[in-house]
Amino acid sequence: MAITRRDLLLAGSVGSAMLAGALASSPSALARGETIELVKQLMGRPATESNRVHLLMPAEFPTGYTVPMDLVVDSPMTEADHVKHLHVFAPNNPLVEVVSFHFVPRRGVARVSTRIRLAEPQHVVAVAEMNDGNLLMAKTWVDVATNGCA
Amino acid sequence: MTTPTPRVIIPGSATKGEVFQVKTIISHLMETGLRLDERGEVIPRKIINRFACRYGGVEVFSVDLHEAVSANPFIEFHLVATESGRLEFVWEEDGGGIYSLAHDLVVN
Repeated sequence: MAITRRDLLLAGSVGSAMLAGALASSPSALARGETIELVKQLMGRPATESNRVHLLMPAEFPTGYTVPMDLVVDSPMTEADHVKHLHVFAPNNPLVEVVSFHFVPRRGVARVSTRIRLAEPQHVVAVAEMNDGNLLMAKTWVDVATNGCA
Repeated sequence: MTTPTPRVIIPGSATKGEVFQVKTIISHLMETGLRLDERGEVIPRKIINRFACRYGGVEVFSVDLHEAVSANPFIEFHLVATESGRLEFVWEEDGGGIYSLAHDLVVN
């Protein structure tokens, strides 16, 4: 079942008043502690903010219907050290999960681009799941002028 | 309604070990299931929910798409050219629709 913004607000009010407050307010900027809390709820375990994850999006975009997104994770993509999955979340969208990419070592490269819908200005969050189970994350603020989810 | 049409831009050849770029797009409304029609009823969700790329018979890249991926989903990714082989691209739609393309890559 898809994770809705309501699910996050309800879970947040039980687990963290700080998170519930952040998501309920609009426009909603996530403070560092709030992002960590959010990812912990979405992934089931904590992630560390890492500058190995490059989530590249325009800071401002005229339409929320098709916002470009580039994702690069610095990784040798060897059997011993590679990115397995790359998840993207938009916590202020009606449905929070955006897209998940899956990679293999050797032939795979952790470098993708796509275009996504955003309902309102918000932090978009990317979480890289490494082969050793580590979660690395990054977030970026995107200010969209229109609601791309309506 | 027109049939979703996929397109792929990919080099015809690459040198062994080279990283090459694959651009894909498929024409698709990506109906989110959040819109209402003129009568105020919910238009049901119908999206491309999965994309996968097989290289020489092995799945090397895949994507789970949700409602927040834009209409006419554009996915650009990169692969390492290991040996000559066939690349197969498949898009899976809610309700079981499958769209696919194939391309033979020469690696020297």
